[in-house]
Amino acid sequence: MISIKGLRQGLLVVFDESPWLSQLRELESKLNANSHFFKGGQIALDVKTLLLTADELQRAQTLLQQYDVTLWAVLSQNESTNETAHKLGFSDTLSGPPTQFAGEGEEHEQDGTAGGNAITEGTDGLLVRRRVRSGQVLRHPGHIVVIGDVNPGAQLIAGGDIIVWGKLQGVAHAGALGDSGAMICALELTPSLIKIADAARGSVNGRLSDGHRRSRSRKPEMARLEQEEINIVAWQEK
Amino acid sequence: MQAVVVTITSGKGGVGKTTCTANVGCALAVLQKKVAVVDGDIGLRNLDIVMGLENRIVYDSVDFIEGRCRLRQALIRDKRAPELYLLPTAQTRDKSAISTAQMVQLCDELRKEFDYIVIDSPAGIEQGFHTCLAPADKVLIVTNPEVSSVRDADRVIGLVESQEKGPAQLIINRLVTARVKKQEMLSMEDIVEVLSTDVIGVVPEDEMILMSTNRGQPVALNGKGPAASAFHHIARRLIGEDVPLQVQQSNTSLFQRLFGRG
Repeated sequence: MISIKGLRQGLLVVFDESPWLSQLRELESKLNANSHFFKGGQIALDVKTLLLTADELQRAQTLLQQYDVTLWAVLSQNESTNETAHKLGFSDTLSGPPTQFAGEGEEHEQDGTAGGNAITEGTDGLLVRRRVRSGQVLRHPGHIVVIGDVNPGAQLIAGGDIIVWGKLQGVAHAGALGDSGAMICALELTPSLIKIADAARGSVNGRLSDGHRRSRSRKPEMARLEQEEINIVAWQEK
Repeated sequence: MQAVVVTITSGKGGVGKTTCTANVGCALAVLQKKVAVVDGDIGLRNLDIVMGLENRIVYDSVDFIEGRCRLRQALIRDKRAPELYLLPTAQTRDKSAISTAQMVQLCDELRKEFDYIVIDSPAGIEQGFHTCLAPADKVLIVTNPEVSSVRDADRVIGLVESQEKGPAQLIINRLVTARVKKQEMLSMEDIVEVLSTDVIGVVPEDEMILMSTNRGQPVALNGKGPAASAFHHIARRLIGEDVPLQVQQSNTSLFQRLFGRG
C-alpha cells in the first residue's frame, strides 16, 4: 500500500516493500481517480529500501508527468537507488524548498518558514497563518486551515475540509480526493469558485470577489454538498 | 553610509515602473544622495528616454558584463543633479544577456560608489524580474488603483516574500481623488485591504507626467506639481525620514475638473 502525506514542499508519496510495479500501478490508479487534486502539484517519493534503476525512476517520473505532476525528490534508504536518483537530478532530502522551482512560484508552502508563520506537518491538516496571495497554491491531502485572508487568484486544494479564518476569495476545493462530506467555511465566503468533491459552484453569493466592494457586515458561512449541489448556509444555524 | 539597492517592479506592465524609477532616483539625488538608476529591462530599455539621456549612451550594462568597457564608462552622469548617474542597458539583446549572479555582482560594484542604486525591473514574473530582484535590499511595487494591477501586485508580493526579499512596499500610482470619491476607482484603503502591504507613497494622476516623460525631464528634478511632490515624499521616506502619508489632489485639466472627472 502506498500512502500520501502533505508537506510544506508539496506531497510525499510513501511506498512500502512490496514490488515496485504493483505499487506504481497503485499510484497510477490514485492519480487517475483524483487527477484534479494532483494536477499542477509537485511530489516527493519515499521508496524505502527498494532497489530502483534509472529506467524505473524515469518511468515513475513519466507517469507523474502525464498527470501534470512534477517529481522533485526521491528519498531512499538504498544507497544504489540514492545514487541513481541523484544522477537524474532529484533531491535526496526534503529540507528546504525544491530549488528548481524557485523561479516558478507555483507552490508556496515553503513561504511559511520565511514570515514566521506556523505550519503543522502531517496528514491530518495544514495550518497556515498568513495571507494566501494570488498565484499561490496550498495543497494537502488532509484539511486546510488558513488564519488570514485568501486573496483572489489563490487556490486551496484539500482532501478534507477547508476553514478560513478570514475572507475566502480565489478558488477553494474541499474533498478533492472524493470526500463528498467535506465542507468549506469562512468568516467571509466570497470565492470566485468553490468545489466540493466533484461539484462546483462559481461566483458565490452572486458577486465578484475582488475586494472592490466592501463587505464588512458579512457573516460567517459554510458550504456543503447536499444532493450533489453546493449549499451555502449561515454559520449560526437554528 | 551603506549602499541600498532598491528594485522597482509591478508584475503588470504600463503601471509606471520606469517613471517611478526615474523620479524616485532624481528625488533621492535632489536630497544630496549619490544615486545610480539602473535599467533592468534588457532589450526594451526606456529609462534612458524618460531620463532624457538616450543620446549620450556609448556603452551599456551588457557591454560592462561582457568586458567591453569599464563600469565608469557605461555610467552616464546626469548634470541636472549633484550626483546622479544612469546605467543604461542594451536595446539589441534580451534578458539572458545578464544572469542573476552577474546582476548581483554588478550591483556590488555600484555599492562601492553610490548611496542608492535604483533598478527599473521589467514587467512580468519571468527571469528578467528575478534577475532584478536578486540584488535588492528593498523592493517597491508599483500598482495603479484598478483590480488587474492590484491582482498582479499581489502575485509579485508573494514572489518577493518567497525569495525572502520582503516586506515589499507599495507605490500607488495615478490615483484620481475625485474618482475615488465617486467610487469609480479603488481607494488606497481598498488596495491595502487586499495587499496588506505598507504604502510608501501615493502618486496622484498628474498631467505634467506625460510631458515630462516625453521630454526626458523627470518632474522630481524641478519639483512642480502633485506627482513631483509625491516622489519627493517617497525619497524622504526611503532615507528614513518620518513623512506623514498624504493623498494629494490630482492635477488634471480644467476641462476635466469642470465636468467632474478630474
